[in-house]
Amino acid sequence: MGQHMAEHGIHVVSSAVVSVVPGRREAVAAALAAVGGTEVCAAEGNKIVVVLEGAGRSEVGGRLLEIAGLDGVVSANMVFEHVEEDKGIPT
Amino acid sequence: MTIDVSRRAVLKAQAAGIAAAVAGIPLPAGAQPIPGGVGTLDINWSKAPCRFCGTGCGVMVGVKDGQVVATHGDMRAEVNRGLNCVKGYFLSKIMYGADRLTTPLMRKRNGAYAKDGEFEPVSWDEAFDLMAAKAKETLKAKGPTALGMFGSGQWTIFEGYAATKLMRGGFRSNNLDPNARHCMASAAYAFMRTFGMDEPMGCYDDFEHADAFVLWGSNMAEMHPILWTRLADRRLGYEHVKVAVLSTFTHRSMDLADIPVIFKPGTDLAILNYIANHIIQSGRVNEDFVARHVVFQRAATDIGYGLRPEHELEMRATGAADPARTEPADFEAFKALVSEYTLERVSELSGVEPDFLVELAELYADPDRKVMSLWTMGFNQHVRGVWANQMLYNLHLLTGKISEPGNSPFSLTGQPSACGTAREVGTFAHRLPADLVVTNPEHRRHAEEIWKLPHGLLPAEIGYHAVQQDRMLKDGKLNWYWIQVNNNLQASPNDSQETYPGYRNPENFIVVSDAYPTVTALAADVILPAAMWVEKEGAYGNAERRTHVWHQLVTAKGEARSDLWQLMEFSRRFTTDEVWPEEILAAAPDYRGRTLFEVLYTNGNVDRFPLAEIDPEYENQEAKAFGFYVQKGLFEEYAAFGRGHGHDLAPYDRYHEERGLRWPVVDGEETRWRYREGHDPYVKAGEGLRFYGRPDGRAVILAAPYEPPAESPDDDFDLWLVTGRVLEHWHSGSMTMRVPELYRAFPGARVFMNADDARKRGLNQGAEVRVTSRRGEIRSRIETRGRNRMPRGVVFVPWFDASQLINKVTLDATDPISKQTDYKKCAVKIEAV
Repeated sequence: MGQHMAEHGIHVVSSAVVSVVPGRREAVAAALAAVGGTEVCAAEGNKIVVVLEGAGRSEVGGRLLEIAGLDGVVSANMVFEHVEEDKGIPT
Repeated sequence: MTIDVSRRAVLKAQAAGIAAAVAGIPLPAGAQPIPGGVGTLDINWSKAPCRFCGTGCGVMVGVKDGQVVATHGDMRAEVNRGLNCVKGYFLSKIMYGADRLTTPLMRKRNGAYAKDGEFEPVSWDEAFDLMAAKAKETLKAKGPTALGMFGSGQWTIFEGYAATKLMRGGFRSNNLDPNARHCMASAAYAFMRTFGMDEPMGCYDDFEHADAFVLWGSNMAEMHPILWTRLADRRLGYEHVKVAVLSTFTHRSMDLADIPVIFKPGTDLAILNYIANHIIQSGRVNEDFVARHVVFQRAATDIGYGLRPEHELEMRATGAADPARTEPADFEAFKALVSEYTLERVSELSGVEPDFLVELAELYADPDRKVMSLWTMGFNQHVRGVWANQMLYNLHLLTGKISEPGNSPFSLTGQPSACGTAREVGTFAHRLPADLVVTNPEHRRHAEEIWKLPHGLLPAEIGYHAVQQDRMLKDGKLNWYWIQVNNNLQASPNDSQETYPGYRNPENFIVVSDAYPTVTALAADVILPAAMWVEKEGAYGNAERRTHVWHQLVTAKGEARSDLWQLMEFSRRFTTDEVWPEEILAAAPDYRGRTLFEVLYTNGNVDRFPLAEIDPEYENQEAKAFGFYVQKGLFEEYAAFGRGHGHDLAPYDRYHEERGLRWPVVDGEETRWRYREGHDPYVKAGEGLRFYGRPDGRAVILAAPYEPPAESPDDDFDLWLVTGRVLEHWHSGSMTMRVPELYRAFPGARVFMNADDARKRGLNQGAEVRVTSRRGEIRSRIETRGRNRMPRGVVFVPWFDASQLINKVTLDATDPISKQTDYKKCAVKIEAV
């Protein structure tokens, strides 16, 4: 993915559900763990719940696109999003 | 101010908890969401359906300071249950592209309109005055058939309805067609021919009930990601569930295929007949169902390819004069026809391994397996698309697997209101609202009564369909043309030979309403800036008959106005005396001297509801401009066509409260499975099942053969070209190419090609090539890796990229019945540049 401009004073916390091809959950979870700003929160059956954080919706959405294209991923869909503005969240 | 670490932890727990709930996964105790959640920081949230595909996901739209700042999946929407695909995620950005049109533009030279002039900003009055003068000039010289309009399955229901009234009731022209002609006309014709009523009998609930899914020419993983997720949940959650995917190349949907079927282009027809033969030969016909609910017909054959009549293929086709003709037949005649489609012959013809064909056929034949069949453009963009649709219904009807949970032949749609507007409102050249047709005098009379127009006013002759409009523009028979919410110069086939010349024909006057300067807009004479999506109150109808309404949430930039306002405001510039014939006015003198606005839109129906009925929380620019609740008035007048006739809609106001309702809505209840007693209120107690769209209550099984595509590879043009879409971009890319993240993810079209085919031509990955057909050529680059894996002899090029107009290369062959273009089969050659 290309570089994203950080949106000034914004911190985004989002979550997505990733469906995976049977037998690929561990491999996809490992690949997700290697993607920055992405935390695997739960995994069961053929689904993985991830929390995505970033300095703007562009960055987080770009990451969702990247995840949707990973090998073994059936679909990656966003669920929740919170945009925190004008105040930082310590990372 | 800095928020402490615990706030971030709370937010993350909230995010994870909601996603886990959506996914049905329990979370560890430490990661439960906090009841009540966190604040939304001054963002006002309202519901709307997504602007993109025909799935009809519910989204929550967040507005702050007059701008849409965020969207997320609507947890209360049954369709997507809180999920939001990657295109949907970027919805909030589609309205804010840097080159958004904000003022009308007109081609001018020396201060006056000139077809060969340059675009200059003008006022709405100047634009409308010229359009009206040109329309009156054309009407006087050539009559109503020289006027035309090309609309869309992206029109809101009100817009399509206002357009059909203006064109048919105002200008007396049926030259109105939607871009949905390119998209699902074959599906619509097949519904009418098989069931006597348009649109699916089932709904998305079938995803949770089926034991098998068969994709016929559909890449749902990329084009319908939310429905694909529902399908995947069923497949991955239940071991017995199987998925078969049929395509002419390997794509992302094949990842889940238990039965992957790659067939030679066009041979899906033979596969369908083989399956019917297998069902019969193995003794698995549901004889009771067939005896009670089915009639047999035989199709006219050798029906040509919808090319210009002087084309040699049309001259040779013995059945081209009346391609839609059918004659009565019986089970024995059907059995005899499909008996020719043996496993050996079809395997040979299609290139599919016999074992896969048998496995596929068994999904349908096994009486204990519920089957949901799904299709999009592979079936519909097909020179025998109507047959393909009907041959699939044959399988569901032979086995009785229809109109009940999980047994569902289901036609997916690509536009948000292909069903709601293009089909239900009746914006096709032959249609009126609620499945009525212009050729039926009773139907016209009924429409004239509801519209309060004089009898005999509505024209009876079917207008020009999409491809015919292009041809007639080029030939100078269609001279005044208004295009709204679509990018036809990029979408139409063989466009440098058959479309562009008509737009620039000096005899013609072309207007394009759009939000962005598409290639179509730039080829016009006048461009009108359009308000889009939540910049207006709207209503869409999705693929499962769900009607979904939204409020205006923001105001469009500059002078941009909705298509609804444009159509209605423009109608003020005409009086009945100028556009209706003297004999009509002589017989109905009360109509003399009135404007089209008055007779069409302040007719006592459309202007019935006062501004006071509008929710004061929301803006409604059209209502304020015209002085009444125009959307509600149009909707309620339109709903009169369907109520009591199987297309019942709820009272308008209720739709503002619901995440859509599936029609027919009778006594406040929506209908999930039509034609089935207990689900559909139109089926009486004791009838069990009744296909009440047809007078005999029976559906049609059609006996039709395999016939070859219009053009196949040969020595000179040795590859099949298939065109289509990608996950990141929606259709012609006019919106998604303006979202930086989506643009970056897939910035330009590529020629997906088999590595051996590339090597044989000395082409490496990434090589620049010329893709050439008998019509034209484009330059692109070779992709031998990536998400689509091509068999030898077939290349795939997506059509979203305006800098690589692949439709210069495609062939303008259509299904002769539905008039829908076949974008999936023509012959090309590929050479290094």
